Amino acid sequence: MSRHVGIVGVGQTHHARRRTDVSQAGLVREAVDRALSDAKLTIEDIDSVIVATGPVLFAAVNQPEKWVVDAIGAQLKPVVRVTSGGGTGLAGTLAGYYQIAGGLVDRVLIVAYDKLSEGALQYSISTLYDPFWGREFAVGIMGFSAAYWRARMDTLGHTEEAAAMVAVKNRHNAMNNPYAHVKKEVTVDDVLKSKPLAWPIKLLDVPPISDGAAAVVLSSERMAAKSTDRPAWIHGIGYFCEADNAPSRSLLVSEPLAIAVRRIYRTAGITNPRRQFDLVELQEPYTCFELSYYESLGLCAPGEAAELIRSGATQLDGDIPVNPSGGCAGANPIGAAGLIRVVEAAAQVMGKAAGNQIPNAKLALAQAGGGWANLRGVAVLSA
Amino acid sequence: MSGIPDTYPIDMAPLKSDLKMPYTLTPGRAAGTFLAEIVSRRIVGTSFTKSGTVVVPAQDFCPSNGDAEFEFIEAPETGVLTAFTETEAGLIGLIRIDGTDVDFPHRIVGAGYADLSVGLRVQAVWSDNGAVGILAIAGFRPAPEAPIGAIKPLANPAKPLEVVPYEMTLHYEHAFGPYYGRLFDEIKTNRRIMGVRSPSGDGAMIPPREICDITHKPTGTWVEVAQTGTVRAMSIIYLEFLGQKQPPPYIYAEIMLDGASTRLIHNVAGLDMSRAKELVKPGTRVRAVWRETRTGSLDDISHFEIIDAKDS
Repeated sequence: MSRHVGIVGVGQTHHARRRTDVSQAGLVREAVDRALSDAKLTIEDIDSVIVATGPVLFAAVNQPEKWVVDAIGAQLKPVVRVTSGGGTGLAGTLAGYYQIAGGLVDRVLIVAYDKLSEGALQYSISTLYDPFWGREFAVGIMGFSAAYWRARMDTLGHTEEAAAMVAVKNRHNAMNNPYAHVKKEVTVDDVLKSKPLAWPIKLLDVPPISDGAAAVVLSSERMAAKSTDRPAWIHGIGYFCEADNAPSRSLLVSEPLAIAVRRIYRTAGITNPRRQFDLVELQEPYTCFELSYYESLGLCAPGEAAELIRSGATQLDGDIPVNPSGGCAGANPIGAAGLIRVVEAAAQVMGKAAGNQIPNAKLALAQAGGGWANLRGVAVLSA
Repeated sequence: MSGIPDTYPIDMAPLKSDLKMPYTLTPGRAAGTFLAEIVSRRIVGTSFTKSGTVVVPAQDFCPSNGDAEFEFIEAPETGVLTAFTETEAGLIGLIRIDGTDVDFPHRIVGAGYADLSVGLRVQAVWSDNGAVGILAIAGFRPAPEAPIGAIKPLANPAKPLEVVPYEMTLHYEHAFGPYYGRLFDEIKTNRRIMGVRSPSGDGAMIPPREICDITHKPTGTWVEVAQTGTVRAMSIIYLEFLGQKQPPPYIYAEIMLDGASTRLIHNVAGLDMSRAKELVKPGTRVRAVWRETRTGSLDDISHFEIIDAKDS
């Protein structure tokens, strides 16, 4: 039987298009200081460190964990680097979870970051593609994402208007998030009239490009009380993959997310996600993904996402608020984006969300993923 | 290896792929101050409050305990050689500047390998060709006579440099292997798109591969797939970005060729782009249009064109 694992401290930086005041390592330090302070701990109390980052091409520093450990005073501690694109923060959390659940250590610090102002983003992301088979046509993951959104319009009714409502909601929610990088309300009309980038994806369907970091302290049950009397317990966490260009793959829904949801909901006793969860933090990052994930996460039936957003159910005062933080629309430092979802979901059930606290939030879902659709995971957090 | 049924090995020269990536790096306060000062021929370090550790070049965080509290110091130009080696690029040594606690690497100039020994006193030689960054110091020369220098507080530190332009050019050579080798040889020589039959027999997999991703069984025999297919998903690209191979607007499409069970990424073109949304949709039938030039890559297909309803 594995041991219980709780999140006992969370922190994130003030995200921005470009943080000229700090290096990559300095950015990490800022998030780590906040998470340790939140957990009433110092780096001496940490048994093991997970450094989670996006692809090294984003910022030209290979094996950045050696730089990061110096900057956070973790010299001579066990350290592992995890990299899994946008889902890297959730994958890093899973790696830390295994260490504690397996009884090997009591406290793990997970830090995730990206300083996207430093490199050529779409060019870097395009190197995800096979150099022989598709890379010359790649448009980061935006081209792919837009193409399958177009396909979902026909099969699942995920219209441009419905996606625009996601942008309106998330950008509204980000207004109250002190760490958000973009704070500007938009209307459905603004989104629909914004410049097409990879139609149907338009400028206001797209998150900002951000510099930012996030950190989480995980603790065993035994040691949690020193930090807080209200940890965010991890009731289930998983991260799954699929074959990239396997036969007969529909790509209309994310297969690995479906697997993650099935497995982790069973572990965590989730049978009616819409009723049971008090909120969801998901990594859009494009508005079309939020619609798709409503269905994948079981918040509504396939084909009902447009109606779900239109009904207002996923707004702050709805019955299943999604992205009360504003999601990636508020800030999108890719390597940190998954961990920010974990931070925000944990803060909600710990009763200390920095922005839009959902009253009496007890059970939260965090979702993140990497690659185009190949890597997806979820975590169920409870008070 | 289980062998390649119904095929022959192709020895293709590796695919050369160059990535030329520009960066704008952020040094942070300490290294930024070092970089701002070195052009004025002042070597700046940091002296950390708790440990007393002195580091040159200046760093934001104490290398022994992560302490973030420090004072800037101006370091002397002299020190000792603590390690050295000879490389194709010349002599490289680790330098411990007088009064500091951490070594850093730099060039050794004005000396041969035989002149060097650990503990040798050295002195900075400033570049006279306007080099910036750490290379504003051309290197360190042996200076047995140089007196031992001392660190001192840095007077009037310059504003830290906030952005450092940088470029990384990476040269790759990707091996084709026998499956991609035959695929692209056939594309180049015979203008055929070859896949392999899946173990279950449901359509051909392109690109061809030895093992099926789903069943993990060896794939079957080679089979040519059609040069016509159906658009599964599409997007109209307006975004401009570095590394882009063609000017927007253009159509990114994922296409299922007839007889294939996997997707092919390419462009749909040769149409009135102002009507792209209505002309190209999931379900639109398309046909490959080949270029005259033969390179043995997917780019030998210029694009896919729409098959008029009356033709199909």
